[in-house]
Amino acid sequence: MVISTEPAVPAMRTRRPPAPATRARRRTLRSILTGWSFILPNFLGFALLTLVPMVFGLALSFMDWSPWTDEPEWVGLENFERMFRNSTFWIALGNTVYYAVGHIPLTMAVALGLALLLNRSLAGLGFFRTAFFLPYVTSLVAVAVVWNMLFNPTSGPINQFLLALGVDDPPGWTSSTAWAMPAVIVASVWRDMGYYMVLFLAGLQTIPTELYEAAKVDGANAWQRFWNITLPGLRPTTFFVLIMCTVASFKIFDLIVVMTDGGPGRATIVLSQLIYLQGIQEGRFGFASAISLVLFVLVAGFTVLQFQLQRRREAR
Amino acid sequence: MKRYPSALAAIATAAAVALAGCSSPATAPADPSGPVTLTVSAWNLESTPEFRALFDAFEAVHPNVTIQPVEILAEDYPEKVATMLAGGDTTDVLTMKNVTDYARYASRGQLLDLTDLVGELPTDKMAGLEPFDIGGKYAAVPYRQDFWLLYYNKKLFDAAGLPHPDQLTWAQYGELAKKLTSGTTADGQKVYGTYHHTWRSVVQAIAAAQTGGDQLGGDYGFMKSQYELALDLQRSGAALDYGTARTQQVNYRSMFETGQTAMLPMGTWYIASIKAAIASGKSSVDWGVAPMPQLAPGAGTTTFGSPTAFAVNEKAKNAEVAKEFVRFAAGEQGAKAIAAIGVVPAFRSDAVTAAFTALPSDELSKKAFTEDKKIVLEMPVSETTSDVDTILTEEHSLIMTGEKPVDDGLREAGDRVKNEVR
Repeated sequence: MVISTEPAVPAMRTRRPPAPATRARRRTLRSILTGWSFILPNFLGFALLTLVPMVFGLALSFMDWSPWTDEPEWVGLENFERMFRNSTFWIALGNTVYYAVGHIPLTMAVALGLALLLNRSLAGLGFFRTAFFLPYVTSLVAVAVVWNMLFNPTSGPINQFLLALGVDDPPGWTSSTAWAMPAVIVASVWRDMGYYMVLFLAGLQTIPTELYEAAKVDGANAWQRFWNITLPGLRPTTFFVLIMCTVASFKIFDLIVVMTDGGPGRATIVLSQLIYLQGIQEGRFGFASAISLVLFVLVAGFTVLQFQLQRRREAR
Repeated sequence: MKRYPSALAAIATAAAVALAGCSSPATAPADPSGPVTLTVSAWNLESTPEFRALFDAFEAVHPNVTIQPVEILAEDYPEKVATMLAGGDTTDVLTMKNVTDYARYASRGQLLDLTDLVGELPTDKMAGLEPFDIGGKYAAVPYRQDFWLLYYNKKLFDAAGLPHPDQLTWAQYGELAKKLTSGTTADGQKVYGTYHHTWRSVVQAIAAAQTGGDQLGGDYGFMKSQYELALDLQRSGAALDYGTARTQQVNYRSMFETGQTAMLPMGTWYIASIKAAIASGKSSVDWGVAPMPQLAPGAGTTTFGSPTAFAVNEKAKNAEVAKEFVRFAAGEQGAKAIAAIGVVPAFRSDAVTAAFTALPSDELSKKAFTEDKKIVLEMPVSETTSDVDTILTEEHSLIMTGEKPVDDGLREAGDRVKNEVR
């Protein structure tokens, strides 16, 4: 881009020199174009593989289209009417929220707790940090299969342990409608905690140790130091973790499919899974797009809300 | 990305349509004896040896024909074929994996009318033709017809001093299962009287077949007695409970092959794989097959099953050769070729039974296999089939895990089918 404009410049110079304002504008334009050319490769990929399909998906949610119909047909709000009448959609929506409400605070609390524990000098620190991070890099299918074995209602170690503790009627876990979702949440917290722990650890490193020393001198106890130094110091990290964790929770798919496949009955079916079932297995592209639009609005809404809360808190 | 799987699939479809639209179909050479390359759509060739067996047998009879399989992943098969056909693909022979998809392709006029061809075939010897009848016309001919029977472990029956399960009623089957539940295998695993796999068909399709109930109708009282039997067996410990089988993803093959169950209601596709397991030394089970238990004694055998068929693409490059292939596969020669590897052909004759060497040689097994029986289609074909199937599967898991009493579960299944499916 720079090269192509070069010859034009001397030609211009023979005429009247441009007014300073025009020159400044040209320079700004030029730097904008340079900037654009740098992000162009990335943007092309994003546009082609994410933006266009997203816009297309948005349009599809107002159409009826399947592998068995020739052309997408405009049906207005029919897909949405059908969705609101579909009991599975409401159950999936409820389950998605249930999962998110259980998963987000638990994961964050456990991850923060681990990060605090592992942020001190401790024998075998590297070992423990690796150990807690391992679940995150382990194959998800293996994780789900092992958790299913642990949760086995009759011979699984968890229920054996509960029986030994004197619990007469231990939960049926993944074979019970009431306990299937808690079981999935436990497994997912265990899997994700290592990842967010690393983020929190990084956040803890940025808090200056002088603050703690000063607080100690002033006589603050451990709890006061945590509450008044650590938590405020971690705020940017916490916010980032919260956003990532929220988005990931609403999009949960893989763990549920492998662990319970939405069952028993519809006790753990979630929105992404319903989108997959309707869109890929049943070939209802329009209907599935309508559900994905709802999921998108849900995730976007929560994210925007959290951003605004954060901004308000910072303004205070 | 995950948020828009449907959009991606749609774009892939659109791209496939656009690309396929560019290629113009070439017209077929008229000479029937010249070299021909016949394309046949198939899935998972490695694990589905019947295709190779049929192709080899056909090429041996027609040396001028080379068969080129169009291999598709089994899980994606219906969508992929639908996309291919929408894009004007010219694959000659299309394998119909199930009857529901067949009805969809046929209703769009994507399959060649084979009614005349069916008229020339000895239809009295062919099973599984009926579901392909659309208003008196046929657009596919079955070559394979699986049906359900009762597998049993001879050693466990003999050890318990019980007669082999010939023509049982369901009540007798339940009692037998309880009597056969005792002891452990060499590895210390509990031996159950029977094993019901987690599929809903184990309870629902057999109930529908034997009572004449309609799985699409929304009135599911006819499944009640079959559910009560299944629940009673798992409560009494004579069958592995559904919850465990489901969460542990128990494999019915290993249950039977390691002697953890004395009986197993299952489809005939399993015959070939038991044979393979024994041949490779993985299993030493002494097995036989018996007719499916019935509601009442002495009324003949009714069971369920599903056919697999070949159809000819409406846009086939080599339509005549393709028809010849369909005729061959559905006839005695094709039947012998697949019977030899333990796959149940739709065509029945003594010669085919003789070629079916995977079957144990005892009289009961022979009878179970060859007797005249009524094979009801596993799931009726309609626009609503797949939605109803989803609902019935969900309610099945609720009833079998004891989350819902039988009556409530069946009532809810009916209500959902009536209100939500259209």
